[in-house]
Amino acid sequence: MNNIQLNDRRFGFFFVAPAVVILSIVILAPIVIAIITSFYDYTLINRSLDNFIGLNNYFESIANKKFLHSTLVTITFVFFVVLFEFLIGFLIAILLNQVERFRNVYYFILLIPLLINPVVVGLIWRMFLHPQLGILNYLIGFIGIEPVNWLGDPQNAFITIIFVDIWHQVSFMIILLLAGLASIPEEPYEAARVDGANAFQQFRDITLPYMRPVIIITLLIRLIFALKTYDLIYIMTKGGPGDATDLISYYIYRSAFIGLDLGQAASMSVILLFIVCIIIYPLFKYMSRADE
Amino acid sequence: MKTFISILLSLTFFSVNANSVTLRAVMENVPDTKFIQELLPDFTEKTGIEVEFEVMGYGEMHPKLVPSLTASKGSYDFMPVDFYWVGEFDKAGWMMSLDDMIAKDSFDTSVYFDSLMDLTGRVGDTTYMLPFYNYAMGLTVRKDLINDSTNQSNFKAKYGIDLKIPTEWNEYLNQVEFFTDKDNGFYGVVNQGGKADPIAMEWSNYLFARGGSFHDQNWNGQLNSKEALEALNDYISMISNYGPLGAESFSFDEAFNVAAQGNAYSYLTYNWFLGSYNDPDQSSVVGKMALIPVPGEGGLNGAWGWSIPTSSPNPEAAWEFLKWVESPEIAKRRAEMGGAATRKDVFDDPDLNAKFDHYPGLKKLLATSKNFPVFTYTPQFVEVMGTELSKAVIGEQDASTALANMNEQLEELAAKDGKR
Repeated sequence: MNNIQLNDRRFGFFFVAPAVVILSIVILAPIVIAIITSFYDYTLINRSLDNFIGLNNYFESIANKKFLHSTLVTITFVFFVVLFEFLIGFLIAILLNQVERFRNVYYFILLIPLLINPVVVGLIWRMFLHPQLGILNYLIGFIGIEPVNWLGDPQNAFITIIFVDIWHQVSFMIILLLAGLASIPEEPYEAARVDGANAFQQFRDITLPYMRPVIIITLLIRLIFALKTYDLIYIMTKGGPGDATDLISYYIYRSAFIGLDLGQAASMSVILLFIVCIIIYPLFKYMSRADE
Repeated sequence: MKTFISILLSLTFFSVNANSVTLRAVMENVPDTKFIQELLPDFTEKTGIEVEFEVMGYGEMHPKLVPSLTASKGSYDFMPVDFYWVGEFDKAGWMMSLDDMIAKDSFDTSVYFDSLMDLTGRVGDTTYMLPFYNYAMGLTVRKDLINDSTNQSNFKAKYGIDLKIPTEWNEYLNQVEFFTDKDNGFYGVVNQGGKADPIAMEWSNYLFARGGSFHDQNWNGQLNSKEALEALNDYISMISNYGPLGAESFSFDEAFNVAAQGNAYSYLTYNWFLGSYNDPDQSSVVGKMALIPVPGEGGLNGAWGWSIPTSSPNPEAAWEFLKWVESPEIAKRRAEMGGAATRKDVFDDPDLNAKFDHYPGLKKLLATSKNFPVFTYTPQFVEVMGTELSKAVIGEQDASTALANMNEQLEELAAKDGKR
């Protein structure tokens, strides 16, 4: 490396340094503090790092049936919301990609749910879903369906939460996937049509391969966000009825601010981080292979 | 000249400083906060002290307060404390003792209901708070239906007793059954069965009404009792047999709306809902609801207290505010606006009794209300109750198992807190 290259590199570091420092403070520092806290008996009542307890918080978390239940509920929730949001989102994105007129109007309408704060989404849907006074049971009454206990029955409540999350977040999938679809060149499709390929073959052999990186990124981001779902549960069910919708983020929040046990909550957060890493690792791996 | 300017500057500095004390506090977005906000100019005029409220929802308050309380010099000069937090705040040493200030200014705390002083006033022998407003629970029933002559004769024929404002628990249960007409969308009761606070608070009334209790003097759990089992069976029966669809998930506002729309005979709720029942914008049963003490052995108390944090930047000025806001004059003016009073003298005031015909009943209700266990882990125990009761209501576990779990966890938490 000659002097000019060295200077260039130094100059580059100089520009990147502020961003690295800020990211370290904002992102890395809280993670490191959480990891450190997880090894101590640190509570809101006794806020000191005097009592080092090693992996005890981790052992307790893993042995905690309620935490394991929340983990299971969360994995099921994430699986269904990401799957359905992807399928619905991809379908709508493909349809929208064909639309020429009023495209911006459709975009705007689709973006509306995404622009609403999750707390407001929860409150709106709680009103809609009120079994006596809500509009949903009123409307389904017109087609002869008996009123549904949307949030008071464990199974219904879980499905309802998935539905509301899809309503709120599917636009995110649509927008990202649509951006991906718009960037696919027209030539391969023209060539395929000349060769007599039908719509399904075009989708399978052109659209999907071109879209693979976009799909993976979209799934990855949505999956991480879904794992962190908190607001909707806090507003709509508080994890109930029973513990049917007790998602892991809400459980960790309660351990910290209601159970007052920050050390325990930190260990659960680290476990959650570990789970996220395990889930995203194959996707990253696949993505880097695709790039190569 | 230099000396003159120095003196002038010093005087200006001190006068600005003396007049520039601004007290800050986090307040919940409830009517009582709005009433005080309207009266604040009076305080500023009298003392020269400005007051700024950060008004927010209940859920945001605790996370907002804690970082300030843990700092050596916090952001808030005084704070309202929900009874849920009293144990935690006491254990953490976040509240300043008010005893010296009370003694110095001869502030009379005997005007408060004893139960409210026990809940949001004293901890042990130390006074950390002045009761701010109460949210004791009472039973609201449709007095127009009770006074209806046809209902009275039909009820007498069916149960052999008079239909009247209920004073006994079983009498109330009969009335709930009598008025339930699900086919026509009318329910004997609407419950707030949602997790965790709504169901835990409401069921506590059932427990007390049946003569049960949470623990004995040594914090041995009493939730395995016959009374507790009866109370839970009553609660499950109310929701499944006499209440509307979905009551298992209702919070208080959703349950209130069912009652306020005229679809339920009774709702066991916070006493300040009476004002909402009588507001034509919110209710179709204006003037038809009576607020009464929970029949049987009494209902659940609830209150907020005023406290000065140990991290308060201006504790003396904060005490001036507490004295003002809890003075007889301001307490009466808040009550006139619809505030939920905590002072006995407010309930004895002739003007207020002339204005509010429910005051005698409310006074009795406050005097007979019982307190929820107050200790460091009160919020956690509410969570435990919320989950266990909710599981029993939706049939995921039987009532005995739910009670045994609650009892075991109450004892565990009490032991963790050094109570046992």
